[in-house]
Parts: sequence; structure tokens; C-alpha cells
Amino acid sequence: MAVAALRNILKEWQVLIGIETHAQIKSSRKLFSGSLAAVPDDVHNSHVSLFDAAYPGTLPRLNHYCVDLALRTALALNCDVQRKSSFDRKHYFYPDLPSGYQITQQYQPLARNGFLEIASNSSSTLKKVGIKQIQLEQDTAKSTFNPRTRTSNIDLNRAGTGLMEIVSQPDIQSPEEAAAYVRTLQAVLRAVGSSDGNMEQGSLRCDVNVSINRPGEPPGTRCEIKNLNSVKFMVAAIGHEVIRQHGILTAPKDPSMSESPRVKQETRGFDEHQFETYSLRAKEEAPDYRYMPDPNLGVLVLSESRIQSIAESLPELPPAIRLRLQEKYALPERDVDVLLSIDSGRDVGFDGRPGTGGAIAYFDALCQGANTRGETASRKRDPKVVSNWMTHELLGQLTARKESFKVTAITAGQLGELIDLVQDGTITGTSGKFLLRHMLANPSHRPPLEIATELQMLAVSSEQSSSTSSTDLASPDAYLNELVEGAFNALPSEVAALRAGREGVLNKVVGWVMKQSRGRVDANKVKALVKQKVVKDS
Amino acid sequence: MQHRRQNGVKTSRRKMLDGLAVAIKNNISTTELPTTSSSHMLKEYNSPFDATVVKLLRNSGADIVGKANCDEFGMGSMNLHSIHGAVVNPFVPKVANPGSRHVKRSAGGSSGGSAAAVAAGMCYAALGTDTGGSTRLPASYCGIVGLKPSYGIISRWGVVSFADSLDCVGIFGGDVSAVQNIFNILSVYDERDPTAADVESRMTASRASQERMEQWSDDKGSLEGLRIGIPQEYFPAELAPEILEPVRRTIHGLRSAGATIIPVSLPSSSYALSAYYVIASAEASSNMARYDGVEYGFHVITPYGTDITKASNVYAQTRSVGFGEEVKKRILLGTYALTADAFDNYFLQAQRVRQLVKNDFNKAFAISDYLTNQAPSHSKMGVDVLLHPSAIGIAPPLEGERNDLDAYVQDVLTVPASLAGLPAISVPALVRNDGWPVGVSIVGQWGCDPMVMKVAEYIEKLRD
Repeated sequence: MAVAALRNILKEWQVLIGIETHAQIKSSRKLFSGSLAAVPDDVHNSHVSLFDAAYPGTLPRLNHYCVDLALRTALALNCDVQRKSSFDRKHYFYPDLPSGYQITQQYQPLARNGFLEIASNSSSTLKKVGIKQIQLEQDTAKSTFNPRTRTSNIDLNRAGTGLMEIVSQPDIQSPEEAAAYVRTLQAVLRAVGSSDGNMEQGSLRCDVNVSINRPGEPPGTRCEIKNLNSVKFMVAAIGHEVIRQHGILTAPKDPSMSESPRVKQETRGFDEHQFETYSLRAKEEAPDYRYMPDPNLGVLVLSESRIQSIAESLPELPPAIRLRLQEKYALPERDVDVLLSIDSGRDVGFDGRPGTGGAIAYFDALCQGANTRGETASRKRDPKVVSNWMTHELLGQLTARKESFKVTAITAGQLGELIDLVQDGTITGTSGKFLLRHMLANPSHRPPLEIATELQMLAVSSEQSSSTSSTDLASPDAYLNELVEGAFNALPSEVAALRAGREGVLNKVVGWVMKQSRGRVDANKVKALVKQKVVKDS
Repeated sequence: MQHRRQNGVKTSRRKMLDGLAVAIKNNISTTELPTTSSSHMLKEYNSPFDATVVKLLRNSGADIVGKANCDEFGMGSMNLHSIHGAVVNPFVPKVANPGSRHVKRSAGGSSGGSAAAVAAGMCYAALGTDTGGSTRLPASYCGIVGLKPSYGIISRWGVVSFADSLDCVGIFGGDVSAVQNIFNILSVYDERDPTAADVESRMTASRASQERMEQWSDDKGSLEGLRIGIPQEYFPAELAPEILEPVRRTIHGLRSAGATIIPVSLPSSSYALSAYYVIASAEASSNMARYDGVEYGFHVITPYGTDITKASNVYAQTRSVGFGEEVKKRILLGTYALTADAFDNYFLQAQRVRQLVKNDFNKAFAISDYLTNQAPSHSKMGVDVLLHPSAIGIAPPLEGERNDLDAYVQDVLTVPASLAGLPAISVPALVRNDGWPVGVSIVGQWGCDPMVMKVAEYIEKLRD
């Protein structure tokens, strides 16, 4: 019902949405203290320096890895990087803030005036969403209240971790676009390695501003919905907020009131059980944060050469990857989609180091001819064949094993050699699939050829040259003949059916041969031989 | 061979302060003794780490003999606001007016305990801090030497922040050479202090300072070539008559030795005190926010029935009891100055005044400001140092009637150098034998700490 109501409102009303995203910077250490940044499962209060706990006499020191990662983000979002920016203190008293202030960039942010292109639901072309600014700031600690003991427990692990606050312009016009914005932003952050962008684990959080107005009229009063921690909740919160504001604006006018109804500017929360927003505080109750330039950190001056070197080493962004996969490798769109979607699930490395488990890097390595010795370009491979093995065979088997691509035990070099073995006929396609399954189940660093030999999987035709062959047959053709003979003896009724012209039975006979050979013979050859024999014998 | 020689060098450097007693102001972190900052809030607080300056002193063989009393968190000019009680000035006038002999006088603040410890002969030197005059004022009242170095020259890591943009570690000594010794040990770059001046700025300023000094200092004690500016704004109506005479005699002595005395004007100085209190209080209100009784320090258990859904209700218990009146006053003033409505008129206005004060100094000096790379506007006409009284009076009595404003006015002559981050040293002037000490201050361009100490040394010689 809500969906239909929303759809109807969107027909007559314009919705303006701005999103403030807090993305945790993927740095090994915190923004201003030397302590290692914590991950969600770490023991409470195990990543705390004296500065994090705001001990008297401690001073901040800016972690330049954080700056570099924020710069990558700024450049990826097409922002004007500010040659000079500065840090400010935002004051409030709360147990998650040991110093009583959060260091942020209120007055002079690191970057301004960028944009992010997202898929739009109203047109086939990409839509530009303006990025107002990007600022560096500290994350807070975590405090949890225990109602039974009436005490707050404070975990300082997160205190002082670097965040990027990425503020969009109110250019987003529907809940779907909001979802597309956040997902696209996540992909960009992961691509440049600046953040995990993981909403479930809290490394990406969104505050959303929503207002509605009739087309042609000025924007309505906006309400801010705080702390949305999944795309699903964000879409629901926006939907609820649009319906709520619409309800206020279209309510029958109260004759006793001189003014027409208005939306009150306020900060709202989202109830994850009721799927509704609720008022947190009115505009008048908004705290005065008493922003003050931080007297310790001074001005952050960025040289043109530093910005330039970040720009030159910027990892490839998703749109560019898409284009490259389509143009360089001529991959069909479906394969590109699959590769990009798996790639976005990879691990992001700390401090801008390349992450592991990336599908695009894996694919590139395969095409470039990676081998088990870690070398490349021994021989380039056909991208379509590679894509087929990756997106169908490898992913299919990983799915069957309930494993993600990230943790795959088979290296690009191994899979590459496996593909080579199939391509040059050393093993059959059937054997290749079996070998892949075997290698996933029994992870090792051994080359596939070695494993295939051990499993007696080498195709019969290729064993001619192998002096160590375990088969005692004089020639592969003789072996094939013998197998087909065997099939004719073992499956008399099927053979009779074949002779009677029932082609459908052919596969059963071929299957029997394949099974007996453990997939080591070429199915097409078997098929031809069986057909030939049926004709000849009849 | 080389190894042994290196060892020998190391050992002799280590022994620079061997066995010499040094006292540390109570707002500088030490692991061995409590770091109370003279506040109830940190009464039981033992720092888990040594301040960089303490570490450097220990490495030089100094004997850290104790922690010295001070105004709570360094806020005060008379060392009255302290949980450890007021500091009594140990100075004993040689020929005293029998009536005034037993009047206890202030040692000055906020580093009163450090100054008193040196003046009483309890230690060779002492560390204080100086945010707006907290080292120079006590030095003047106690008749010893007190240096506020250039901002950023001595590490603040471990110094309990009052107002970070102004805070400096100050050095007290019975004579200039003691201050020089300690300064040489402490003036090293420390990467843990984000406001530490980089090595290049230090080197450039030091070289420029050295070049100037070579032009006027020679072995015969002549000061030919030294240009001393006397800023007219530093002789305000509030200046006590007993100050003027010793300052005049000092100036006369320097001129007799060959120095050129030049009247100069620093017109923005009259606004400096107001700007200082806005900036210092704003930063203090921010720095004091961490004292909430949660992670460390004093904590008042929340009374039953308090609405604990608001953190402020819980914190208020601790903060109301833990802070003294003077600190509370400044937190309130600073909090107001930072509110959205007042920010522009107070905080930003004060920052503009601060820049004007800096510009005044840069116009007066012959040497460039090598920290911000501002060249002097007329280097030929400029002065090497400025000289002015350190305080508007001698040490005030601890008891008796006091105007509330008096304590704040004490800082009027010292805050401009703090706002501009310049080195300033207070050295006892030529006082007639019957009186309480009077200090004169020598202020130099940023990084010219050796120069102000050199001039102070001449004044010391005049006294002998």
C-alpha cells in the first residue's frame, strides 16, 4: 500500500534528497593517534592510545595515509581538492567522545564541488549527483547502555578512526536514486581502496535530507534522518518521510489557523521495526557545537605534486573498468556485470595497498597469461574462454561449495594453466571441470598438469608422447575403439535403439564411454566413432 | 676507537646537568609524581608518561626534585587558584621597610611554585609554562630569570593544555646561564608535537639571529650596533612608580654600553589583552571538556534520582565540584565566545587582533619572521629586540583588598609576545637595595631566543 501511495505522490510532487555519507577510512592506523584501527570483532578497548582516551598532555598527529585515501576519493568524485584546508573542533558532551570534541573540517574542507554519476530510473543516460564537499573527521567511540545495571559501557576501539564525510547536493529525486547513489559510491570507495563501504559493519553510514515540493515551487522544508545503516532502511525511511510530509502538506486547512500547514524542520530517527521515522529533535533544540579551529593541527597544505601523484596512481574506477572490459576484451555485457559485481565484494587493502580477492585483477591476470610460477605473459589467453571459465565454471562451483570468490583457493595462474590444458587438448573439457572441482576441494600450490597426471586425467590423445603413461595401450585410437566396443557390449538395447534411428540414445552411449575413460577422451570423437560404428555394423 | 670517542662525547653530554636539581610545574606530565595541575579534577592523577621536556632533562642527568605549585591548569597571574594553596614569594628584601617585612607577597602566576623554588635556592632551574605571561610575571616578582621561548621551539607533548595556540614551556633560572643551559637541552624538534617548528625554520632563524649578534657583540662588552626598541604602549597609566626607575636605569646602562635606544610604537598592543582573554578562554573551554570523570581523574558518583539519560547531567556532578572558580569562570567565558551568535564578534575578532599584533612586531624588527616567512618592512630601521617592564608593579601582597580586575591587568605587558609567539625573557633590573625585585623583558623576533638571552645577560652584567 505504501509503495502505491508513494508512487502516486511522486507523480505530482518533486522529492529532493541530499545524502551525507560517513565512510570509515581503510587505514591501518587512526586519524590522529598512532594506535592501530580496530575491526568489529576486536576485544573492547584493545586499540586505545592515550590520545584516544583524551589523556592530559597528549596531542594529535595527522596520519597522512588517511589524507591520501581521502584525496583518492576526492579525485574519484571529480572534486576540487583544496590546496589549503584546516581542522576544527566540534564540541558536545557524550560518553562516546572522551575529549569532549570531535576534530572535523567544518570551515575549510579537504575537497569541494564534485559529482558522482549514477544510473537513473527516469532515463537511460547517467545522472550527475553533485558532491558539495568531502571532509576528514574522527569517528566516535561506541557507548552501549545497559538498562538492567543502568550503566553505560564505553568501547574506545573506534574512537579516533578516520572518517570521510561525503556530502551530496540535494540532487537525488527518488528512493531508488538514493539507493543507486549509495551503491555507486560504495563501488567507487572500494575501487580506490579508501573504504570498505560496508553498511552492515558500520564502515559506511548515511544521514539523509528529504524535502518535497510541487514542481515549479521552491524546495520544501527538509528533515534530516540520522544514522541509516542499510540501503534497505534508507529507501524505507525516505519513502516513509515523503508520505509523512505529503500528509502534512495536503491536510485539510484548519480554519482556526491563519497559515497553511508546514513541515517542521527537524532531525529524525528511523525505527527499524516499525519502518517509520520519528522526531529526535526540532530545529530549535539543535545543539550549538561551538566550532573552533583546532589550535594544534593548523593548516593542511597540499602541494600540487602530491595531488598530481595521487591522481596518477589512482586505481581504475568502475565505469573505466566496464569500458575496458567491453573494448579491450570484447566481453558481453552480462559477463562484465558479473565480473564487476564480484569485484566489488573484494577485500580492500589497508592504507591504499591493493586489496585481495578482486575479480577484475584475477580476470586480467588470466587473460595476460599468468602461470603457477607467478609469471605473466607466457601466453595470452582468449578473454571469452577465460570469462566462460571464470563466470560459469569457477563461480558455479564456488556457489555450489557456498564459498565466495574472495577466498577462492585456486590462483589465477593455476586456473590459467588449467584452461591451457583444456585448450591444447591435454585434458578434455570434462576433465577440466572435474580437475577444477578437485583443486577447490584440495587446495595446493601445485600446477594443474601435475595434479591431472596424478589423477590419470590426461586425454588419451596426448598420452602418446608421454613415456610415463600408465595406460598400456598402443595408441589412443585403439583405446577409444576398445571403449566403444565395450559400450556396444554393455548397452545392447541402447545400441539397438540407435540402429532403429533413435538419435536421443546417442548421449547415453557416449556418456558410458566418457565415464569409463574418466573423461579422458574427447566426447566429439566418441560420438563420431559410435555413429560410424552403428552405420557400419548395421 | 671511533666507538669509544663517541661514547666519550655522549657521556660528557649526558653529564651536562648531572645531579642538578630541577623542579617541574605541576601541569607537566611526569610518571613519578602526580600531575595535578593544581586541580581537584586531577588531584590523584598520575600520568602514565613523561613529557618530552622531562625526558630530555632526565637524559641530561638532571635530578627531578619535585612538582611545583601553580594556578589551576595555568589560569591565573598570582598563583592563588590552587588546591595546594597560594604560593608565598620567598624573596627577602635586603633592607626592608620594617612595616612591610612581614607582608606575604605573591610569587606571581601561574608558574608561581616553579619561580619560588628557584628564588628560594631549592633548585638550579625549574620548568613552568607560559600562556600569557605565566613564566615572565613570576620571574619578575621573585627576582629571577624567566624565559618564554618562541612558540613551537620546545615540545608541548605532555604539557597539560590550557590554550594550545599560546602555551609554551617556560624556563626559570637564578641567572641567564642556567636558563641557557636548560634551553639548549630542550630546544629540539619533537615529532609528537604537531606545533613544533620544523628544523629548517629553526636553522634559518638561528642563523639570522647569529649573524645579527655577531655585528654587535664583542669581547670587550661593547653593545655598539645593538638596536633596542622601547615600545611606548608598554608604559601604561597602571604602571607603578617603583617600576619606572629600575627600567630607566637599565636602559641607561645599555645605552652607556653602546646600544642604540629607539622609541617604537606597537599600536595594536592596547587591544591585545582583550583578544588574549577571548582566545585563551575559548581554547580553555575546549581543552577542559575532557575532564568528565570517565576515563581518568576525579569522579563524583551520580546521586540517586538523577536523570542519567543525559550525559551532561552525569558530567555536571564531577565538573561542578572538580573545577575551581577561576577555571569555571574562564570555561563560561570561552564557551560563550564560541557560541554561534558570539563567534564572529568575539573569537574571530580576537584572531584578527592577534594578526594585527603580529604585524606590529614584524614592522618593528630588523629580522624576518622565519616561521611565516614574513620579511621585515624596513630592516635597516628595525630593532633587534624590544625592552619593556615585565609587570606593571612589584609582587602584590597575598592578603588584603584586591580589585578583581587587577589580576587580569597584570598580564597586559606580557600577552602581546604570547599572541605573536615571540621569545621573551624577564631578567631582574637594577633595583635599589631596599626594594622588591622588578623585571625587565627582552622580546625578540621568532626564533631569536639566543639573542634575547644574550641581551638579558648584558643586563645581568650591568647589575654586578
